[in-house]
Amino acid sequence: MIPDLQLSTLWAASPANLVLPVVLPLLAAFLMQPLARVAVPLARLLGPLVLLLSAAITLNLWLQLGATPFSLTIGGFASPLGILFHADGVAFLFALAVPVFALLFWPGTASGGGDDRDQGARRDALTLLLVAATTGLALSGDLFNLYVFYELAAVASFGLVALSDTGRAQIATFRYLMVSAFGSVLILVGIAIVYLQTGTLSLAQIALLAPETLHNPIGLAAFALMLIGFGVKAELFPVNTWVPEVYAGAPARVAALLAGLVSKLAVLIIIRLLVLAFPQPEMAQIMLVLGLLGILTGELAAWRAKDFPRMLAFSSIGQLGLIFIAFSLGGELGLLAGLALALHHLVIKSALFGLAVRWRGSIEALAGAARSSPLAGALFVLFALSLVGIPPLPGFWAKLLVLIGLAETGGALALTVLLLILLATAVEASYLFRIAIRLYQDVPTPVAPHGRRDLGAAALLGCVLLAATLGMQPVADRLGDLAEQLNDRTRYIETVFPLHLAVKD
Amino acid sequence: MRNLASLVFAGGLVFLLLALGAQLALGTPPMRVGSEILAVAPQEVGAANIVTAVLLGYRGFDTLGELAILFAAATAAGVVLGRRRAADVRRDPPGGEVLRTGADLLFPLLLVVGFYVIAHGHLTPGGGFQGGVILAAAFFTAILAQPARHLSHALIAWIEGLAGAAFILIGLWALLEDGHFLAPLLGQGVMGELISAGTLPFLSLAIGLKVGAELAGIMAHLSDAEAPDA
Repeated sequence: MIPDLQLSTLWAASPANLVLPVVLPLLAAFLMQPLARVAVPLARLLGPLVLLLSAAITLNLWLQLGATPFSLTIGGFASPLGILFHADGVAFLFALAVPVFALLFWPGTASGGGDDRDQGARRDALTLLLVAATTGLALSGDLFNLYVFYELAAVASFGLVALSDTGRAQIATFRYLMVSAFGSVLILVGIAIVYLQTGTLSLAQIALLAPETLHNPIGLAAFALMLIGFGVKAELFPVNTWVPEVYAGAPARVAALLAGLVSKLAVLIIIRLLVLAFPQPEMAQIMLVLGLLGILTGELAAWRAKDFPRMLAFSSIGQLGLIFIAFSLGGELGLLAGLALALHHLVIKSALFGLAVRWRGSIEALAGAARSSPLAGALFVLFALSLVGIPPLPGFWAKLLVLIGLAETGGALALTVLLLILLATAVEASYLFRIAIRLYQDVPTPVAPHGRRDLGAAALLGCVLLAATLGMQPVADRLGDLAEQLNDRTRYIETVFPLHLAVKD
Repeated sequence: MRNLASLVFAGGLVFLLLALGAQLALGTPPMRVGSEILAVAPQEVGAANIVTAVLLGYRGFDTLGELAILFAAATAAGVVLGRRRAADVRRDPPGGEVLRTGADLLFPLLLVVGFYVIAHGHLTPGGGFQGGVILAAAFFTAILAQPARHLSHALIAWIEGLAGAAFILIGLWALLEDGHFLAPLLGQGVMGELISAGTLPFLSLAIGLKVGAELAGIMAHLSDAEAPDA
């Protein structure tokens, strides 16, 4: 029965092949350590090659099949009995972003472990596991499957953070582990409540049953538990206490992946839950308040931060707070604003952490750094301008959308939030420009210039940002389509259950 | 002060969960998925043990994820523990004649029980995860009784890698043959017989070897990295 296998079918544009971008990195991760014992150079190449392959498969499927959302069952068992992947525009976008960003910030020898054969193989294996998990988070349409991938991303990131062989990093990892474990328990309780209320784990069926079973105080509690639980990785206030120490202690490229990719995927799960199962105003209100506390505490702490990676970590908390505020507005405008902010943050924060590979340590010591590497200085200024929201950079439009949304909502709370966001922006501008001025100071102490790869990755992302600035209209239209799809609950259900035939009550 | 705050927080959380528990219809869950699986699993998968049918059939993809989590944990433990080389570590003294003989006697017995539990996972309670832990325990007793004994990291890495790869390759084979990743293949056979339920026993075996190798590997790292008396 084996000879008639056609390996080329794996490349064909069949929906079933969407599991490959999750499964192939897993396969490579499993084989990494044995391979490193046989041929170290081959093992070093395996990771990037698999990521390229995953990206190519995802892109191919998106181009061929992505016009309409579709779902695929895994193992051939139809949902709700089996697990399914649900692929719409947003899912494809993030599933493609994962291997691309992982390639840009592949934690090579610069990230601890050095050239030691075993440690290097472990580092590569853990990165591949993180990639598989985050791709799964983008695609999965099953609540428990999402939890499994979330947990895999968490455990893989513990190992990656612990790669820095310093006592500080180890303590940070331990705190991160504790907070994560607490969050995981809350998620599990939340999922148990949802299962007890609905009797299913398929997101589409939960969405179908939610109006009778989850639109009540019990549902509110379940959502709050899952919000806090998934919020650990999404740097949601108050479960973000691990963030500054971990990002400051971890290898900078690992921090880039965690702050850029992993946090966005956690936000995406929360948004899917909010849209599909919990569309009540109380849920959005919790997110609004927690997001506001996040942006205030994050920006104020970033203003006081003394070293560069820590400043980036605190400002990341602030920006994710703003993303939560945007999504809490609900409707297409809110989702559009949230998506735009999330992608903007993905690009910028990853790139800034890429610059932090060399710019470690205190901000004082960075005086004059832009003079020894002018391109890095220019990139920092560009990213800072976009973060603060100077027109015509994309950050301005994203922030404007949030402010418009808040103004349209009206009411005392929304207007207070609007004012506080403006205040936080002023704080943000003050500390970012303070650093920019320091970078361009005329001091003779030279700071080591950047490696070509990190600077290249940051420059590439800078180009993406500029391209988005020039093509703002088409980008906004595309994002609008994605937001509309993300907001369409009926379509999600019908993609999984055509004509609702498979659902029995 | 901090302890008091933690206490108040924990108390509040417990109260919230209790209040929730009082609201929930515990004991009478809606059996939407559950009853349907009970009805169709014997025909669709052919495993006498329905739990295994869910674990490796309906939710086999979750099991792959859990396998990967365990692998990630073992690898992360290797990152933390694997820095010190085995040579410069002073080991504990041997556990003595009685312990050593006991461990030697237990070793084959635990291996047989482990493989039995793995091989019968689709028939009786048990399966890859449980059997794998028993296999690892065989190596635990050996190392604990004689700390000077050295487990080969290379061998463990190979078993671990190949077993994990086997699970995924079986899944990919199903993708090529059947069009669905991890769909059961090879026909169901007669329910209740050792050779039945298609590829499920092979998946069990892969899980068992991988779990056993991972836990044994963590143990080997711990015994290598034991801190010398400071």
